Amino acid sequence: MGDTELELSPTQLEELQKSPSASSTSTTSSLSLPSSPSSGPRPLTSSSPSTSEGLPTSSPPLDVISEGVGELSLVIDTEVAKKACQEVLQKVKFLKVDGEVSSASSEPVLVNGTAHPESTDGGKPPKISEEEVEPVKNVRRRQKNNSSKQSWLLRLFESKLFDISMAISYLYNSKEPGVQAYIGNRLFSFRNEDVDFYLPQLLNMYIHMDEDVGDAIKPYVVHRCRQSINFSLQCAWLLGAYSSDMHISTQRHSRGTKLRKLILSDELKPSSQRIRREVPQPPPSCPPPLHHGQGMSEHSLSPSKRTHQRSKSDATVSISLSSNLKRTASNPKVETSQDEDLSSSSDSLELEAGTPVRLTPQREFIKSLMGIGKRLATLPTKEQKTQRLISELSLLNHKLPARVWLPTAAFDHHVVRVPHTQAVVLNSKDKAPYLIYVEVLECENFETSSVPVRIPETRIRSTRSVENLPDCGITPDQRASSFSTVPNYDNDDEAWSVDDIGELQVELPEIHTNSCDNISQFSVDSITSQESKEPIFIAAGDIRRRLSEQLAHTPTTFKRDPEDPSAVALKEPWQEKVRRIREGSPYGHLPNWRLLSVIVKCGDDLRQELLAYQVLKQLQIIWEQERVPLWIKPYKILVISSDSGMIEPVVNAVSIHQVKKQSQLSLLDYFRQEHGNYNTEEFLTAQRNFVQSCAGYCIICYLLQVKDRHNGNILLDSEGHIIHIDFGFILSSSPRNLGFETSAFKLTSEFVDVMGGLDRDMFNYYKMLMLQGLIAARKHMEKVIQIVEIMQQGSQLPCFHGSSTIRNLKERFHMNLTEEQLQVLVEQMVDGSMRSITTKLYDGFQYLTNGIM
Amino acid sequence: MAQTEKKAGLLRRTSSSKKPLKEKVVLMYDEIFAKEDPTKSNPRFWDELFLMKVNLEYLEGKLESLDGDEVMKIKDNINSLFHHCVQALGEEHQIKVVNALQTLCALFRGVHQKNKSATGFDIINMLMGFDKAELRMKELMESLDSLLCGDGSESLKSLCLKLLLCLVTVTDNISQNTILEYVMINSIFEAILQILSDVSSRAQHGYDAVVLLALLVNYRKYESVNPYIVKLSIVDDEPTLDGMGMVIHHALAEYNRQYRDKEEENQGGFFSTLTSMVGSMFIADADQKLSIQTNEAILLALYEAVHLNRNFITVLAQSHPEIDIATTPAVPVPASPTTPLGTTPPSLDMMNNPELPLDPNLQTSNLLITFLKYSSIVMQDTKDEHRLNSARLCLIILTCIAEDQYADAFLHDDNMNFRVNLHRMPMRHRKKAADKSIPSRPLVCAVLDLMVEFVVTHMMKEFPMDLYVRCVQIIHKLICYQKKCRVRMHYTWRDLWSALINLLKFLLSNETILLAKHNIFQLALQVVNLFNMFITYGDTFLPTPSSYDELYYEIIRMHQVFDNLYCMVLRVSTNAGQWKEPASKVTHALVNVRAIINHFNPKIESYAAVNHISQLSEDQVLEVVRSNYDTLTLKLQDGLDQFERYSEQPREAGFFKELVRSISLNVRKNVSLSTMSQDVLLKEFSSIS
Repeated sequence: MGDTELELSPTQLEELQKSPSASSTSTTSSLSLPSSPSSGPRPLTSSSPSTSEGLPTSSPPLDVISEGVGELSLVIDTEVAKKACQEVLQKVKFLKVDGEVSSASSEPVLVNGTAHPESTDGGKPPKISEEEVEPVKNVRRRQKNNSSKQSWLLRLFESKLFDISMAISYLYNSKEPGVQAYIGNRLFSFRNEDVDFYLPQLLNMYIHMDEDVGDAIKPYVVHRCRQSINFSLQCAWLLGAYSSDMHISTQRHSRGTKLRKLILSDELKPSSQRIRREVPQPPPSCPPPLHHGQGMSEHSLSPSKRTHQRSKSDATVSISLSSNLKRTASNPKVETSQDEDLSSSSDSLELEAGTPVRLTPQREFIKSLMGIGKRLATLPTKEQKTQRLISELSLLNHKLPARVWLPTAAFDHHVVRVPHTQAVVLNSKDKAPYLIYVEVLECENFETSSVPVRIPETRIRSTRSVENLPDCGITPDQRASSFSTVPNYDNDDEAWSVDDIGELQVELPEIHTNSCDNISQFSVDSITSQESKEPIFIAAGDIRRRLSEQLAHTPTTFKRDPEDPSAVALKEPWQEKVRRIREGSPYGHLPNWRLLSVIVKCGDDLRQELLAYQVLKQLQIIWEQERVPLWIKPYKILVISSDSGMIEPVVNAVSIHQVKKQSQLSLLDYFRQEHGNYNTEEFLTAQRNFVQSCAGYCIICYLLQVKDRHNGNILLDSEGHIIHIDFGFILSSSPRNLGFETSAFKLTSEFVDVMGGLDRDMFNYYKMLMLQGLIAARKHMEKVIQIVEIMQQGSQLPCFHGSSTIRNLKERFHMNLTEEQLQVLVEQMVDGSMRSITTKLYDGFQYLTNGIM
Repeated sequence: MAQTEKKAGLLRRTSSSKKPLKEKVVLMYDEIFAKEDPTKSNPRFWDELFLMKVNLEYLEGKLESLDGDEVMKIKDNINSLFHHCVQALGEEHQIKVVNALQTLCALFRGVHQKNKSATGFDIINMLMGFDKAELRMKELMESLDSLLCGDGSESLKSLCLKLLLCLVTVTDNISQNTILEYVMINSIFEAILQILSDVSSRAQHGYDAVVLLALLVNYRKYESVNPYIVKLSIVDDEPTLDGMGMVIHHALAEYNRQYRDKEEENQGGFFSTLTSMVGSMFIADADQKLSIQTNEAILLALYEAVHLNRNFITVLAQSHPEIDIATTPAVPVPASPTTPLGTTPPSLDMMNNPELPLDPNLQTSNLLITFLKYSSIVMQDTKDEHRLNSARLCLIILTCIAEDQYADAFLHDDNMNFRVNLHRMPMRHRKKAADKSIPSRPLVCAVLDLMVEFVVTHMMKEFPMDLYVRCVQIIHKLICYQKKCRVRMHYTWRDLWSALINLLKFLLSNETILLAKHNIFQLALQVVNLFNMFITYGDTFLPTPSSYDELYYEIIRMHQVFDNLYCMVLRVSTNAGQWKEPASKVTHALVNVRAIINHFNPKIESYAAVNHISQLSEDQVLEVVRSNYDTLTLKLQDGLDQFERYSEQPREAGFFKELVRSISLNVRKNVSLSTMSQDVLLKEFSSIS
């Protein structure tokens, strides 16, 4: 499989470059394409024929070509690179290759030779580049002597072992433009998710390394940007963030900045709307309320008509015929867009997608979140910050739902509502990071699925209104029966209040009497309660007892503290929070409703956090692969600029500081309070979780030299795991003031207590886990080093301060030690950390005695 | 009254212009009032007329001076004047539009002034002619609609709204204004909404639009189907509703701010006389800038929005930056007499700015908070008829809010804490609480505070029974919600209990005076039932076990009041008479309170005897209470947590009719002022063209 992909991906690249006349061949080659899980190559090929058809879409690129001489160079460049690869390739596997593939691969070569000069004027798909023509000559010159050397490499490249990590590594280390270009092409064959992991590395290389590497990477990036809005924005953000360390004068003209501008200019649209058309129409697959959104969104243009329609309450409709509705225009539109052919349905889609607002909604969304953070920072007290946050978010809510999403989420969705009262300001001295919860509706694809229709906060009316009934084309009988399918959330008398009756009176007076029954529900209740004439007696003591019991029944909640508003919010179990918010949300009844949360950081550089995330994730994968039961929780980081970003919060976790402050218990006692007594299974599970996570984070703290480990930066989750957060001080950087965090990692006596005490089974297990973890990590050291090393390029981050960061990091893997020696090392480190406890205790004692004296 | 004003204006004008020469426009008016068709002599008569500056006084005066028969004689000319006015509205020449609008205004008013006794149909006939009326009004409304919705001059839009306000208020009783039937058919609701949804137009015309809407909603509210009611009840466009909320918020906040300024002013030299000052301030100040009536219009709009539109409830909680607390005296552009309506809220920049300003001193506020503050001011003094009505309306609005599930949800939301500085009536026996000390709490606490404040401050001879009943009902509704949803508010319930007990005490001591006018047993029953809620359902909503103990302590401490009440109701219920039944209800309701008193009092006495203490401390009493719960049995009463939902009809219909009448009068008065100042407007356009 690797072979064919290897062959075809350059071919496809070429198809992209080719003039429209080649469209027929490209379609055949796309047919021969293995159905790889990655969607990478497929839209690429499908895009080229459509460009040939759609005249209007091909015109903008022409402008670009006419302007820049550089256009030519890129075209040549990739082709040369590909040619280089293929020439060598053909030598190596000349005999193995079957006829079909060789013909497919040789044909383009022929085409290249001739089509080369013409290709510029032949209506290219939008490929834009700013490079000079000169490097191409270099490439050509070098390419001759390269070929023989590369044969071994190529064998590796072809092998199944060759993964994205290796690709990145070779891209970084190889000085051969041919190899770089080859890997640039190979990127297309990896799964998107795999490449995405290394996106920071790729882009950092693009920004800070020589042009050959950049040229190799660019086609892939551009291609992916065309495919995905999310990818485009991620790229733009990362490019901005990683360019920020350059001097301002060079930054302005740097490649990274140019590519960023290009992406943000939104010229990297999918080559044609046809791609969208090929995506199966969303309406049938979406739940009913979603697809009605289409009609509503068009409809909302004329408020007067809308109110007309609104005035028809469900009951009215169930009796009046659907012809009644036809007049109101919105519903028929929905129907036709489903039934009719592609041309008409694409019209409606183009309304949404055709305009240059591809990236805008999401950028605006992020911008407003950041703006809130900036404004909050100016307010002096937590209370004011919280109030302001809530009011700002409630304004934000007005603009939702929209085609916006949380980039930290793992699935496609649209944000529909921010439950603003649930947001909290997090603890920070001068900045104002805050945590928001976000209600989303899961969807197939956030780019093509229609945006959900807005449901007003007071949802009762809308759950019963015409627009939300599943279908409008059915007979009145059916419609009446479909009432039952609409979830009935209002079991109280709120459902039909006075105004409903007034409204019904206007249209259908006879309904009035029916709804009157509804409104007087409570009086019926009161009648039934009065039926039992027997007096009921209750003991005052019982009331008092129930009161104290009910209050005692919720011991795990934290008390509201105006100075620490986040403690309560974070302590609440996630599931419970989801349930509570769902109940209070007008969208809660939809089956695809989900709750997400995100921390918005404004004024903080999250690039180090992102680096730490990558290392953690890599180590997690390594440990999993090597079957070491260490537990760590890498949390997702979204870098938006060099001083802002978003963090995926760890759910069901509070900081140890908050635990201790709120519970006033030692960690061990808190464990017993939360999980039960020593020998209960719950406690033991929690303890094991604690040990496994503690060992994992100890290794990480050691390898990455994570500093500033106070209790506010260590979380404890509801299962007993600890989770380290805040990787602001890693590798070469440490907080200025204190050098006394000299121990390898933080291991307090409280931690040891939870593990059962020194030299007990769990403690030994802890040390054993650390040894295993180190051995496994050592085995894959390169994968870890590589992540860090590439990011060091051109970086001013404090973690790369000094020249020996990478060397020191490598040394901490202790490649030269035997496993026995490594075991000794672990013992030493644990001892060291323990000793630092005693010294700290001693310090504290000193202070106290001195204070007293 | 308005008539005399106009007469005066007319006189002044004639006396000042001694010249024998009449204005050209006046001559033309005279031609209309002649029986001849004016176009006979001058085919371009109508074209020329609308180029002339309107002489409102003359035209109106002329119309007024005609008696019925005379009018019928020149009916054709008036019809055609009306017709040409409507036609002129479509002119490109804006000056013609302005003149036509003003002429229409004069027509509507002049005809009504004269024919106070005439029926609406006569008026329609006089203005438009029966056969053409429907068409003319349709044309008129369509022109107004397109003027209001188009992007023409703002002054023109303002004038359109004035005309509409003028038309709506020509009769004292809005429901007798037959012409409005055409306004019902040809709705301008959408135009009003559009004004409210747009930020800039909202700032300029929002107030008029909201008042107009409030009045239109009240046209034949109870007799027929009013499309404005229907439409208002289903608006769900947030920007529009929010815009409406903003306008209301702003008007109320402006009132609050001015009150505050005044209060501070008065505090300066003579703090001691403050009490009397505040009391008389609103009556004494003849040229009060903020007339209470205009605020009634805004309150009415708020009421209609809250009452009719469920979606509007969310707007109540929508945060805005606080305006009345602004540290700088926020641009106090006083409403100058030239400003239309004399009420257009000044310093509208706040509303123009969709972004919240970045002032760290600025507290965030919302419509509900502003409304609560406003209510606290209005409720301070209910002696004046207008203020009594305002206070009543405030309580009605609060009743609607307290009944709404969604409103209750955000009132009780633990995450939405606010400091609400309610105005408290300065009283001799208590100090004004320092504003700073108010903690940030969920909004329901502010509502309860306001209710407690009202209960405490209105025990007077002119007992506002009706307001008290509403007040206790609001408390009841809030507690019902808390019980149902198991919300535990950390509120100092003790304040409420002692206020209620004091209220009972007041009822008892003024029994004879009050009974002459009111059914005090109804109120007493409600109060006792509130206690029953606490006693029997306290476990579901009280914040701590000790608060339940405190409840008992408070009842025991004040047992004399309950004892006396029981004696009184027992006495009344044993006598035959009109109060027999209501009084006996109170006796039944008192069963648990009496059980508590009878159970604990002997225990406390024996505790004191055993321990040889003459006066038990609070802690000691609480100790006795705690140890003796188990031997006390209570009776579960029916329907404690049920309440009658608010309904406007039929109970409140009379009140609203009167209210709308008074608002109409007031608006009419202000509109007439404004039309005189349209000269300014004319100048604007003449300089353009």
